[in-house]
Amino acid sequence: MTNLVEVRGLVKTFKRRDGTEVRAVRGINLDIAQGEVFSLLGPNGAGKTTTISMISGLLAPTQGDATIGGFSITKQPMQAKKLLGVVPQEIALYPTLTARQNLDFFGKMAGLGGKELAKSVDEVLDFIDLKDRQKDRIDTFSGGMKRRVNIGVGLLHKPQLVYMDEPTVGIDPQSRRRILDTVIQLRDEYRMTVLYTTHLMEEAQELSNRVGIIDHGEIIALGTVGDLIQQIGEEDRLIFSVGEQQIENDFLQQFEAIVGITKVTYQSRELNVAPGLEDSAELVIAKKSTGTMVAVRSGQVKDGEIVVYAKRGRKALPELLRIADDAGVNIFSVEVREPDLEAVFLHLTGRALRD
Amino acid sequence: MDKIVTIAINDLRVFLKDRSNIIFLTLVPLVMTFIIGYVNGGGFGGGSSQLRVDLLDNDNSELSAQFIASLKEANSSLMLCPADNDENDGCNLGDNARLTREQAEQRVKDGDTLALIEIPAGFGAAVESFQPVSLTYVSNEDFTAPGFIRQAVDAAALRVNGAIVAARVGTDVAGQIEGITLDAAGQAAFTQQVYDRAAGIWAANPVNVAYELTAQQESSTGEINLQSGLAQSVPGMGSMFVMFTVFGGMTLLVIERKQWTLQRLVSLPVSRAQLIAGKILSRFLLGILQFAVVIAMGVLMGVNLGSDPIAFILIVLTYTLSITALSFALGTQLQNEEQASGLSLLLSLALAPLGGAWWPLDIVPEFMRTIGHISPVAWAMDGFNQLAFFQGGLGDVLLPVGVLLAMSVVFFVVAVSRFKYE
Repeated sequence: MTNLVEVRGLVKTFKRRDGTEVRAVRGINLDIAQGEVFSLLGPNGAGKTTTISMISGLLAPTQGDATIGGFSITKQPMQAKKLLGVVPQEIALYPTLTARQNLDFFGKMAGLGGKELAKSVDEVLDFIDLKDRQKDRIDTFSGGMKRRVNIGVGLLHKPQLVYMDEPTVGIDPQSRRRILDTVIQLRDEYRMTVLYTTHLMEEAQELSNRVGIIDHGEIIALGTVGDLIQQIGEEDRLIFSVGEQQIENDFLQQFEAIVGITKVTYQSRELNVAPGLEDSAELVIAKKSTGTMVAVRSGQVKDGEIVVYAKRGRKALPELLRIADDAGVNIFSVEVREPDLEAVFLHLTGRALRD
Repeated sequence: MDKIVTIAINDLRVFLKDRSNIIFLTLVPLVMTFIIGYVNGGGFGGGSSQLRVDLLDNDNSELSAQFIASLKEANSSLMLCPADNDENDGCNLGDNARLTREQAEQRVKDGDTLALIEIPAGFGAAVESFQPVSLTYVSNEDFTAPGFIRQAVDAAALRVNGAIVAARVGTDVAGQIEGITLDAAGQAAFTQQVYDRAAGIWAANPVNVAYELTAQQESSTGEINLQSGLAQSVPGMGSMFVMFTVFGGMTLLVIERKQWTLQRLVSLPVSRAQLIAGKILSRFLLGILQFAVVIAMGVLMGVNLGSDPIAFILIVLTYTLSITALSFALGTQLQNEEQASGLSLLLSLALAPLGGAWWPLDIVPEFMRTIGHISPVAWAMDGFNQLAFFQGGLGDVLLPVGVLLAMSVVFFVVAVSRFKYE
């Protein structure tokens, strides 16, 4: 597959007020193939935005270069920018202008004009499903609608590469779903290449063909989601909720004896019952020490959890349930947690992405 | 060029969407121009149509009365206090129906009157007997007490003196003509006759001085006074409000950076030069529009701003250009809206008075005049004053226009070289 974006030895150094230098990006190399959705993940301050800003022409690299469609961002920035559509995290629109006025203006700036511009604006308005609101001011729109116009502006000149910076931040689930579908549509129907940044692992996992994890200005992992999970060798986790029952070590050893199971732990946690709800019903809402809200029996003050680590958790589940039934242990709920990007990220960086 | 114009048009559209901007662009400058014009030109003395002057007649003779009449003929706009005081207390005397010399001097010092004229006791007798006699004239000789009051006094004195001289010469000549013999009574009557005749001829055919500060159409001195204030304040307020409007561009850059429209523009195939030029063009056009509003108001009120519109327009263009360039030279370095707003206000309110937008630089000390010329406003006002007050033309404004252009170039170079969008 042809590479649309090629990044070579990209470095960015900033000078602090005291004269010292901060190396925000430390020699990044990266290829993004034509037609793929590539997600760049990283905690705040990892160098994600700086890298993207250099690729999209907002920042001049201190060293290195990147090409878009073969055009250097440092030597041929105008040609490179013609292939690039930017969808910033911020609503980069003029709030007092209408949706159509915004699209018209940015379309002209992208080099469109005349009938081509009018056609393109109409198509984008159809695509973002806001044709009936095209004459309304942006500041009268909901957050989700603003996001859609924000995306629309980035698509006006039909760029080969669309850069989307956390496009689902601060919007309702329905609008979020709509935007994710839009990204999938851009990839599958319009064959656009999408460079996507997010701190939501499930988004990256759903959308991306490949993922790059960046930390301290360097890419520390690169590949498909499956590749990355396999690389770190993470296991499934089966979490059994057993309430206030007393769990003996013998029982846990029976679990451990099953083939494929590598570790079993038991922990009983204090429940923090929500104020005012303690005696109101048979079931009350309680908060676990982990912060999760659960429904428990009235008067219950503890909740026990057995966590089973297994290579293939779902396969072992029927046998585990049978052992529990034989031992007379009531299982109130079971949660199967398969390894995900969050686990990969945690494994590689030692912190959660939201930290 | 298309992209520059598109950016400028878009910025103008965004600016005009905000109704408060339209009010600030039109209504506020109009009101301010009129108020400052009134204060500069019409607010002193006896209102907008009369010039308040204190006159103490210690002689109360027929000749002193004639002198006062001549004074009024020489300048019909003089309100001679306390004699001419009206029911509205135009003389601002309060409960004092009479004035002492000390009170009158104090009023001049306080700016309550433009000048004090005192006719000494024995004035009439001294004049009639050709004895030297002096009138007292006291004023703060600045722009609020223009020279035409002194000129009116000189003209009135000249008339009285002239008639007396004519009578004396006539009597002497008549006495030397053979065959004409007059007794004392006849000589006195003859002298009086010649005096009356000379005074009458003078009154019928007065050589009046057109007391104009500017080339006004109006001949009324009172109106000239207000006009002169507006001729100062119209370009002055125009200059100041251009700064308010154009310096707003500093905030604009910060806001656009904050709302990310600037970054989005940079990510599009638009060069940095096109972007800056578009932004500058929009503010420049707003500045011109701002000036046009104030000037149009002045023209509608009959203010004569000179007879060379091309020279006038040239000053407006170069001044607005220099202010626009200055705003971008500074605006590119600002981090937030508070900085931009504060600097915009500070610069507008400092450069305007320093440059003579609020009052003529003629009234400030020489060193302040020199310092004032670090402000583009001072150069613009020099040009405007040349046109309005000294009947100047294109050749007379080339220096200020040249300096303003040079300032523009320097500021542009700084703006372009230091422009940052990240």
